[in-house]
Amino acid sequence: MDPVAAAVIASWSLDPKLLCLLLALAALYLRGWLRLRIELPRKYTIGRLAAFSSGLLAVLLALASPVDTFGTLLLEAHMIQHLLLIMVAPPLLLLGQPVLPLLRGLPRWIFKDALGPFLGCRELKQLGRTLVHPVVSWLALSAAIIVWHLPRLYELGLHSQAWHGAEHACFFWAAVAFWWPVIGVWPSRPAWPRWAMIPHLVAADLVNTGLSAVLCFSDHVIYPSYQLAPRLWGISALDDQSAAGAIMWVPGSIAFLVPAVILGMRALEPGRARTIRPMPRVKALRVSPRLPWDLLRTPILGSILRFRYFRRCVQAAMLLLAAAVAIDGFFGPQVAPLNLAGVLPWTHWRGLAVIALLMAGNLFCMACPFTLPRDLARKFAPPRYRWPRQLRSKWIAAGLLAGYLWAYEAFSLWDSPRWTAWIILGYFITAFMVDSVFKGASFCKYVCPIGQFHFVHALVSPLEVKVREPAVCGSCRTHDCVRGNHLQRGCELNLFQPKKRGNFDCTFCLDCVQACPQENVGILRVLPGASLREDRPSSGIGRLNRRPDVAALALILVFGAFANAAGMTEPVMLWIHQWHARLGFNSTVPIVTALYAVGLLIIPAILASASGWVSRRWARAGASWKDLTCTFTLTLVPVGFAMWLAHFSNHLVAGWSTAIPVVERFFSRVSPSSFPQAWMPGWLPSLELIFLDLGLLLTLYAAWRVAHRFANGERMALTVMSPWAGLACALYAAGLWIVLQPMQMRGTTMMHGMMH
Amino acid sequence: MRKEAGPFVITVFTAPAPLSAGPVDISLLLQNRNGLEPVLDASVSLILRSEASGAEIQARPTREWAQNKLLYAAPVTLAEPGKWQLDVTILRNGERTEATGTIDVARAFEMASSYWSYIAFPPLIIVLFVIRERLIRRKAKR
Repeated sequence: MDPVAAAVIASWSLDPKLLCLLLALAALYLRGWLRLRIELPRKYTIGRLAAFSSGLLAVLLALASPVDTFGTLLLEAHMIQHLLLIMVAPPLLLLGQPVLPLLRGLPRWIFKDALGPFLGCRELKQLGRTLVHPVVSWLALSAAIIVWHLPRLYELGLHSQAWHGAEHACFFWAAVAFWWPVIGVWPSRPAWPRWAMIPHLVAADLVNTGLSAVLCFSDHVIYPSYQLAPRLWGISALDDQSAAGAIMWVPGSIAFLVPAVILGMRALEPGRARTIRPMPRVKALRVSPRLPWDLLRTPILGSILRFRYFRRCVQAAMLLLAAAVAIDGFFGPQVAPLNLAGVLPWTHWRGLAVIALLMAGNLFCMACPFTLPRDLARKFAPPRYRWPRQLRSKWIAAGLLAGYLWAYEAFSLWDSPRWTAWIILGYFITAFMVDSVFKGASFCKYVCPIGQFHFVHALVSPLEVKVREPAVCGSCRTHDCVRGNHLQRGCELNLFQPKKRGNFDCTFCLDCVQACPQENVGILRVLPGASLREDRPSSGIGRLNRRPDVAALALILVFGAFANAAGMTEPVMLWIHQWHARLGFNSTVPIVTALYAVGLLIIPAILASASGWVSRRWARAGASWKDLTCTFTLTLVPVGFAMWLAHFSNHLVAGWSTAIPVVERFFSRVSPSSFPQAWMPGWLPSLELIFLDLGLLLTLYAAWRVAHRFANGERMALTVMSPWAGLACALYAAGLWIVLQPMQMRGTTMMHGMMH
Repeated sequence: MRKEAGPFVITVFTAPAPLSAGPVDISLLLQNRNGLEPVLDASVSLILRSEASGAEIQARPTREWAQNKLLYAAPVTLAEPGKWQLDVTILRNGERTEATGTIDVARAFEMASSYWSYIAFPPLIIVLFVIRERLIRRKAKR
């Protein structure tokens, strides 16, 4: 192929946001189409699926193909893009009759709880009918086409990405409204008879023809940008403009007139008027109650997870990995980007762990290598003591967590492979010693800071180890899930499945799954964050929202997320170094210590106490300050988790390739000549902001729901939650600031440079 | 910026528009003077020099980095606003061609403003949630 032609064809601009949106729409439509096809096989044919898919493809071609790339250089390409958005994509999408499939494809809670009230709203239905009325939609499309082709506005679109997007949105949505009555989208009823669509289409073609003629026959270049653009292949700007006019004229007229002819022929067909009727009215979408989706019942993954020795295999693999990291940390080069201990734990493991929490649940604890040696040792010498009653809380773990977060920053743990190796070794020794003496999973439940991180954040995970059918447990007398049996131990964290609520303290070890003789425990899909609002006692935990130790743990994690991420931003680092120089200390440790004492302990304690006190004044009588503070503190977990997610995903995405040369060096023992540098794709800040947005919204929703427990009526609920909502918004604002700062890319060859 | 140098017509594109301090994308279109055919087999290098501070940035634009594969592009970070001198060196078939120009760089673009849609998303959802709650309440009253 000619290299120039090959280069043109290869000029795609694949925006991840657009791709994700189109893939999500395709998946939703397919899911709904598959369900509707069972109920209405004649209405939802393969043709509908093909039409909708082709419509999505047309959108992709318009916005990501070379047509988009060359739109700024050639008016012809830009015109093809507009034709795709006005005359190709909308009718194809509407031919797929997308309303019902898209609604049925949505998760039930979105369809029923979030969209339900809007779908039943009279005014919105009227607004929808007005927008797709033939006169209104014709006016809208004609106005969009004419106004956006005025030179000033067209130039605005060429010079601003945002205005260009607005132009495309106007074209696309006006075209959707225009084609809606022409296609007759189900379940809306047509405002006019079908034959009336013929003048509707012809009138639109008149506008299109008039504008095309102006472009074709103009003796000067209408849009100055094309006059200034470099001319490709010797095509003059005026020729380009005439060609664009011809493209608009001929294919544009075909797009309007062919449907008009088809409609005319159908109208004239004898007996057709009697046989064609609008599609039957849908009474109501039937949403049958179903058992939640169960990961353990998925075809391949479910079988793997149910395999008796699955956890042991994963733990063994993680143990080998931890050993390799520790060995390299002790004996390898003491330069973080060149050492497994400087790269894998800080760049990769943390990122993967939070993504696992977001997508599934507490998978790290499932694969935890630290408990494997003690499990083997227990075969020979079982522990004899129970964990002391006075220490059965999260205070020790919360203290260790705060200490770890401080040490990470104060001693730059990410920059010291040897320190990292010591931490890993220390973890193994502590887990071994604690669990050699004390029964159950005392280390996991009361000591392990990493475990607490996962327990708290798994409260917003979408999967939960849970009873499949509660009625089955009603007749159970053996309680194998917690007591175990001769084949399988029960839950070491004393979580009795029928009374377990949420993921807190659950290590996803699946012992209960293996132990249950009824096979009544699964990994079920749950609403993320639902357990943050839980007010019932849970087995092995009690009432989560009444425990000050859990609230303290949550506060440390929430504020720790922001402190930890802020520590790698340029302004905070400069500030620390300025104070270091001003005060004349030998190191930055005293300043970091003071910062962490204030930011991780004092400020959170003051803010939470004050918010609880304000809520108490406005709450109904009987609500205690302690209950309010502990309950609302838990609702801050999503915004904190969002910050961890934004922070760790930044490291993972920007530095994922740094593992390859380090692993090569570890096995070959030869230092490679070059290392890949951290690289931050342009879409990463957007993804981080989406995490923060969702975290804030989930926090506000949880606080709103929780507030109703302490209030009589919505107004009172709003005032009770307001200090916590303010706190969440302040944390969100801090998160925005952090995400938009230049970052120090720790543990990579860019670690001394700054990146956005 | 467009220059005719040696056998080439060189057009330089910059993004974002208007060009501002911070991470930017610099792209070049090389065309033959005769016929304006795009030239795809050259080796291009850039030197950017701040007229205010003398700071210098070197870059090697490639077609792989460019979205439009007729162009040569490179990401660079312009540390400061003001005038920057741009030296382009093209090597093709053993021949070296050089061109020089100037680009104006505005003050650092406020990153928050380019992400306004993400920042506006939570308030939008909150407004929709309030409407939803009102609709539910209205339905319950009926």
